[in-house]
Parts: sequence; structure tokens; C-alpha cells
Amino acid sequence: MSILALVLSGAGLVAAGMRDRASDGIERGFRAAMAIALGIGAWAASYAAWRMAFGTPGAAKDVLLAVAGAAALAAFRRRQPASPQAREPAPRWLYVVFAAACAVAAAAFIEHTVRFPDGGWDAWMIWNLRARFLARTADLRSAFSPAMAFLAHQDYPWLLPAAVAQAFSIFGESRIVPAAIAVIFGALAIAVVTLGVARAQGARWGLLGGLAVVTLPCFATFASNQQSDVPLAVYFAIAAGLMTSAKSRSELALAGFSAGLGMWTKNEGALYAACLGIAWIWRTRDLRGAVAFAVGTLPCAALLAWFKLGLAPPNDLTAFSTRATIVENALDWHRWAELLVLTARRVVYFQDFGLWVLAAMLLLWFLRKSPGSVLGTAVLLAVAAYGPIYALQPHRLDWIFRTSADRILTQLWPVAVLATMPALARTTART
Amino acid sequence: MSAGRVKGAMVALAAVGMLRILWLHFVSEPRNEARRTPIDDRYAAVRALIPAGEAGYVSDLPAATRLGQDPATPGTRMYLQAQYVLAPVVLRYDDARAPLVIVNLHDPSRLPDILQQRGLELVAQVETGLAVARPR
Repeated sequence: MSILALVLSGAGLVAAGMRDRASDGIERGFRAAMAIALGIGAWAASYAAWRMAFGTPGAAKDVLLAVAGAAALAAFRRRQPASPQAREPAPRWLYVVFAAACAVAAAAFIEHTVRFPDGGWDAWMIWNLRARFLARTADLRSAFSPAMAFLAHQDYPWLLPAAVAQAFSIFGESRIVPAAIAVIFGALAIAVVTLGVARAQGARWGLLGGLAVVTLPCFATFASNQQSDVPLAVYFAIAAGLMTSAKSRSELALAGFSAGLGMWTKNEGALYAACLGIAWIWRTRDLRGAVAFAVGTLPCAALLAWFKLGLAPPNDLTAFSTRATIVENALDWHRWAELLVLTARRVVYFQDFGLWVLAAMLLLWFLRKSPGSVLGTAVLLAVAAYGPIYALQPHRLDWIFRTSADRILTQLWPVAVLATMPALARTTART
Repeated sequence: MSAGRVKGAMVALAAVGMLRILWLHFVSEPRNEARRTPIDDRYAAVRALIPAGEAGYVSDLPAATRLGQDPATPGTRMYLQAQYVLAPVVLRYDDARAPLVIVNLHDPSRLPDILQQRGLELVAQVETGLAVARPR
């Protein structure tokens, strides 16, 4: 029943949001990837809402979710087919390169999972720890007990732990469960970017976009780490992909729902949802569209507010900050200079990024006079927001930057690729 | 920029990325990073002794619990790993007055010292350097 609830709710959401029928295989693939991601998100978010409202859910929660999904599918079944688009095909050798890159990433994923059977440090310290609490006890408060050390980050939203905890209850508490969920989100990240670019620019650009994600050296590692960064990247990328191609307010609402699932995945998700909303208003001046996007975020925004106000202890960044430390950090020019140096060094951090981020910086310079896009603006806003976040937070700057910068890049990278490929396609089409 | 050049540059960047991934995971890590044993292996037996509620936690190595303390220390790792395995038991760090207390030691020979210093008596020795105790 859980799998049925997941599939039907995802398919129902996509049917409700996309008012035309998919016209070809690329569009069907993109929608299928979206349906799986949104289905997992809806399944996990409904679990959290049920637990906070009524306690541990039985089969009733999944029955309701499946019925709601089936009802949406039935209600929106008579859709007009979208007009078929002529898309640039890709050469056969590019498919071979893409398949080889996916095979390399898959092998790296397996190697890393075998070497680190409990995932990355944050996986067992935060995400799977929370999943174990959720799966092992009906006492929800113990999972977020302030009696644990702050490094367990009891204030973090719990989409991923809820998905893992529910899978534990179906398949048993095995280390394979979070690893399998990590595989799914890793594959979804590649699929959403590849197909998201391909549906707009054709298969050639889609495969190049997918290559940019799957061969980012830290991508396979972070996917196998079983942390929330890749799931957040998936929801942010779905929201971004929908916003660039939205033909109706319902698609913008669906983008908002995906951004909301990002908010329920990690605290940074709220920042990215805000950046998408602001960038949309800035670049399109379409306030009604922005309202539709905001309405889409509401279910998960409400869930997040419910959790933060009712259950979560304060975030360590706020708990350890005082007005005096914030002012002191803001006026400390050494701290800002250190941040600039750390950022500049990270751009050329070959171990985790290869040459991708350096190439993206060069491309940004080359395209600096191109008209601004919603996604480019959203990514730049998010990057700019991290300046004051890093400078004002209370921890040692070098430590928090070292432990978080690569994860933030992993969250943003798929959307940066979605933002870049149309500009590249346009530029090369003119020459 | 021509489409051909862009395509060539992106494939070259992808090739560099693939080589880096292969080097890290199949050359560097096998040489330099030992394969981790599952965290459950060390702590699983304690779960049977403390199934639920709260327990104290003491150690011979400090864990980071406040701002400014280094969170990457072995003591922090030991505490958080014990918490990971023992969930849903909440481990109260440095609390030796709880009805049951996990004693988790980096140096197993310090068990008698720690028990005496913290006013504890042994309930069960579970693993080398890992015991359950209670206040005397």
C-alpha cells in the first residue's frame, strides 16, 4: 500500500499540475522522474503531519494518500496532448559518453557505500539517527530531545528521515534501506537535469547538462553519503525546471509544491524557495504567477512552521548567536576577507569539483551581458545570501565553511546547470 | 563560441571529472581510507540492556556540546555513534546520575578509574571499553 500511495500521489500531483499530456518520450521521462520525487516527498511529508497530529500512522494514512492520488489522476485524465516539439537530437557517441559517466558514478557510489556502510558523518549523526528514532518509538518528542548534543541538529526538517523510517517499517531496519533511497535520489537528480534540459533544448544539450551533474566529482560521494543534500537538490531542480517552462499557474503551483518539499528536506530549502520566488517576480513581473508558486509551497511551509514552533529546539545558529556577536561578526572585516579567500580557493577545489566550478565562473564572466533569467537570478541570490549567513553565524568560519561549502554547491549545482544550458544553447545558436 | 567547441569543452570537463572520480574511489581511498566497520557492531549489545527512555553517558574523551568546542574529535564521534545505535534512548552527555549510565572509553584500562571518579558501579561490561553502570 505504501508503494501504491507513493506512486499514485506523485502521478496525481503531476497530473493536477501539468494540464496537457506529454507529447514524447523526453517529456514522459521528465514527468515520471517528477512523479517519483514528488511521490516520495508527499509520502514522507504526510507521515510527518500524521505523526505530529495523531501519532504513528497505520495503513489509513497511505490509503488516504493513494485515494487522493487516484482521484487527482481521474479528475485530470482528459487532458489535451501538448503540441509536439522539434528537438535537436544527440549524436550516438554522446549517449555512449553519458552512459559511461553514469557507470563511473554508479561504481563510485557502490565503492563508497561499501567503504562507509553507515553513510557520511551527517547521515548517522543526523538523518538516519532521526529515522531510527521515528521507526523505533511512538514518542515523537524523544527524536527531537534537546537533551542530545546540538550536533544531532534536532531542529532539522525530516523529509528524508521520514522516508527512511517508513521504508524501515516495510523492509526492516537494514543498512540497505537508506542506501537504496540514496540511489533513488541520486538517479533522480541526474534524470531531472538531463530530461529538464532536453525537453527545452533537445537531447544534445540535455545529455551535456546531465554530464555536468554526474561527473561533478563530489556528486557520487554526496549521493552515497545518505544525507539530505542530493534530495534537496532534486526538489530545487524540479521547481526550477517547472518555472522555466511553466505554461499555466497550475505548473507554477506544482513548482511551489516541489520547492516546499525542499523546505521540508533541509533548512536551506526555505532560502532556495524564497530565491526562486523573488527571482520570478524580478524577471517576469508576474505577481499572479508568484502567488501561484507561493500557494504551492504552503502545505510544506505550514508543516515546517508547525514543527519549528511546536516540536523543534532552536537552531544552533540562532541559539548560539546574540545581538552582540552578530554585530561583532558583521563589523569584523577580517571575517569577510577570510570568507572571500575561502570562497576563491573553493572555486578551484579540484578534489571535489574537478574543473566544473572554475569553468562555470569563466562562463558567467563570458555571459555577463546576457539578459538575466529567473534561474540564474535565483542561483546568484542564493549564493549572495550565503555571504552574510557565513559571516554572521557564530561558529568558527573556517570550520563551518570547510564542512558545508561542498554540500551547498551540491544542492545548487543542478539548478545552476539548468540555468546555464539555455544561455549556452542560445549563444552557440547565434554563432 | 561555436556549438562544437562548447560540446568539446564540456565533454573534456566530464572526462576530467570521471578520471578524478575513478582516482579517488579506486586508487586513493583503497590506499588511504580503511573500510569502516558498521557502527552497530560495537554498540548493539547495549540496546538489549537499555531499550527506551534516557540514559547517562560518560567517557574518557570529551565531546563537543557547546559553541567553540571542536566537533570533529574522537570523543564527539564516540558519543554520537553511541546515540545513533541506542536510539530511541536519549543519551544525556556527562550525566553520571541517571539510573543507567553508558561508559564509553577510548582507553579501556581507565574503566575502574572512571567508575570510581564518577561514583558508579558496573552493571555489565559489554565490549572492550564499553560498559553499562549505575550510580553507587
